[in-house]
Amino acid sequence: MTLPILPTSVVGSYSMPGWLERLKTEYHARRISKQDLDEIHDTAVKAAIKDQEVAGIDIITDGELRRDNMIDYFVERLPGVQFDRSSKKFYYDFYDSEVLKKLPSGPLGLTEDFRFLHSNTQCETKICITGPHSLSKRIRNKHYPSEEAFAMDLARVMNTELKELVKAGARRIQIDEPCFSGFPEDLGWGIAALNELVAGVEASIGVHICYGNRYGKPSWEGSYRYLFPKILEAKVQQVTLEFARRGGEDLDLFHEFSAPFEVGVGVIDVKTQAVETPEMVAERIRKALEFIPKERVVVLPDCGCLHLPRNVAFAKLCAMVEGTRLVRKELGN
Amino acid sequence: MILQINHLQKSPAADTAHDVIDALLTLLESGQLEAGQLARFRVQLDWIQYRSNFREAVIAVPFGKCGGEPSAPLDLHINTRQMSRESLATEIVKAISGCRGNRPEGVDRIPLEDFCSFRSSIAWEFNRLYWHRLADWEHATGRGYEQALPGGKSDAHHPEAIADGVADFWTLLQDMEKRGQLPGEIFVMEIGVGLGKRAALWLDRFQALDQQRNTNYYSRLKFLLGDYSLATLERSRPALANHLDLCSFVVLDALNPIRSLSFLRHKLLHIHLTNVYDNLPDEELARRDGKLYLVQVRAYLPNAEAEQICRGAQISLGDLSRSVNRLLEIGPDFFASREQGITFWQEVWKALRLEERLVSVEELPAETLPEGLGLTRLDEILRDAPSDVRFHLSTGAIESLRNTLPLLRPRGYLQVQDIFVTDLNDYRTGFYGPGKVDGSIVNWVNGALLREAAERAGYDLHFAPFRYRPGSHTSVLYTTQRE
Repeated sequence: MTLPILPTSVVGSYSMPGWLERLKTEYHARRISKQDLDEIHDTAVKAAIKDQEVAGIDIITDGELRRDNMIDYFVERLPGVQFDRSSKKFYYDFYDSEVLKKLPSGPLGLTEDFRFLHSNTQCETKICITGPHSLSKRIRNKHYPSEEAFAMDLARVMNTELKELVKAGARRIQIDEPCFSGFPEDLGWGIAALNELVAGVEASIGVHICYGNRYGKPSWEGSYRYLFPKILEAKVQQVTLEFARRGGEDLDLFHEFSAPFEVGVGVIDVKTQAVETPEMVAERIRKALEFIPKERVVVLPDCGCLHLPRNVAFAKLCAMVEGTRLVRKELGN
Repeated sequence: MILQINHLQKSPAADTAHDVIDALLTLLESGQLEAGQLARFRVQLDWIQYRSNFREAVIAVPFGKCGGEPSAPLDLHINTRQMSRESLATEIVKAISGCRGNRPEGVDRIPLEDFCSFRSSIAWEFNRLYWHRLADWEHATGRGYEQALPGGKSDAHHPEAIADGVADFWTLLQDMEKRGQLPGEIFVMEIGVGLGKRAALWLDRFQALDQQRNTNYYSRLKFLLGDYSLATLERSRPALANHLDLCSFVVLDALNPIRSLSFLRHKLLHIHLTNVYDNLPDEELARRDGKLYLVQVRAYLPNAEAEQICRGAQISLGDLSRSVNRLLEIGPDFFASREQGITFWQEVWKALRLEERLVSVEELPAETLPEGLGLTRLDEILRDAPSDVRFHLSTGAIESLRNTLPLLRPRGYLQVQDIFVTDLNDYRTGFYGPGKVDGSIVNWVNGALLREAAERAGYDLHFAPFRYRPGSHTSVLYTTQRE
């Protein structure tokens, strides 16, 4: 499928409906069965797919609506990671989890999610994976000599899953590493782990690095300058960053360092319910085009839409698509 | 009949309970009460924290909008602080007969509004008027609002508390600096500034500490003083004379600070409020037999007081309600002379009472409950709470909290000095208000519900006792970022 210039996408998660939140919490309280929850998830994912299609997004995801949060979905699947099911009050809290011995290899079951997404849409698709650095920051390491060693082993185990995803037909994979911004001192080994994760994975790989979106608020603040020049060593084709909420001050870094990547430019602020106008979106894209060639710009929200009400998330995606069309028109496309 | 003792105060509870049962059984024996009626009573012995409040000594609170059917259950609230043994039986009969529809409108009281949630009551209009016309009120009474507080002064200015607060903040700044996280501009805000004394003391102390440790943080400080009254902000300015270069005075609504300060979203490192939450519009819920009811109120003036007020203001009883509304719209200048207007205002406020009824929450619009605290969520929160309990919903405080937290920068924190009920179980042994403090309302804040609202917004709330003044009811709420 040929994508237009300035393709639009989403970072991963779509609005979590209030009813799904309640049902997830009911499941954790053992008041509904796993089978019921799976059916509910299928229905919710189909609705999220439909919303993205109707909004006109070019590259869609499953909305990550099966996930409690970006950590626990992997905690539950990673063989060898121990966690206490009673350790969280709400579904979106984090489990208390730890690794006590070397991680064995084993499937994570993400190919099923991909197949479901792929079979329910004609659009281009993307699957998102939490990266080893961010996972190593939440899962307590009680075995490896260092966080770095733990992250490298996580990457080894997850690399197999990524290759399975490619076999299943996945062509775009996004690695989420928001914790880079919280622990810039780890960047060196964080990127080494990222490279280990994607080694030999024959798909278009992107890495998403934001300043956190836990509970719909940032976890850290700062400048993306910390990423450079180290990020240039990342074996990825795309780097996706947040620019809507924080402003476009760091866009010039891509020019300054001649970064070879596609840049996923965040043009929608997901931490406010105020819906951007298409013109506002267009202005943000124009600003990005001052520093990045148009062939290398992908248009996205700053981060996942998880914490936005559905009507707001949908309206924001529509504004994003409309604003992108305005700029495409200006570019003669 | 169920007798519920909602307090364990100094007043001997056994004697009080005995007096109440004695009065009720006497009424039964004399035929003024029927056995069936008595069996449906839930008699609540309350201790209202504030001597000046909105209650008669005995009030009957019916269930439902249509007044009490004789066969329906009835909450009979007796404020043991106001109760007089001699008149108790009479007060009970009066309360019950009024509530059962035996009292024609206007016979013993002049209603000033229709039944509504407490939050929507004109009682809060009086509160608003007080803060907007504070100087007039103080001029008339001859004393400042802080002198009117219980204890005669505010805990806001305690030097040791301020010094500790400054030290904590300075430590945060230093840690952020070490990690390369300290922004160029350090934004701090106080909401509800009073006379500016606390802000001035805080800034004096911060400046001194900064100089002493040679950290150069003071010059990077941007200190915002927020209040919904421009007059109050102006009154606070002289106290800040030594720090005006870094102060900004902002008119804002404590219920929604981010509306005025959206440009500072995720920018503030520290926000402080003292005794603001206890003065924000509130309402109450009651759970009876597992079912939730909203306490609706109707403001009224007892007839005797109303007649006296009318004589003084030279208006007819029929004009009283309209005059009160004009006072709340225009202020005391509505009268021929301001003095006359202020006298009218003070007398009406003093006499103002609230009657109550319980309306099932299921019969009310969903918007009745604060955002994020729907019925399902409340059911979960109340799962371990007492089955018969009445508690503050603290809608104003929750709204304020939710609309303040987005201003915080990562690692920033909110600190609120106020009177909190931190555990729902505490409502078993105390019923905390509302009370009248001079011309304003004071109400305990449901910290347990605030905690729930904050968790959903990504913060954990902690409550520490205010250890700087023995016997203080104040607690200090502070937030930490939830992981």
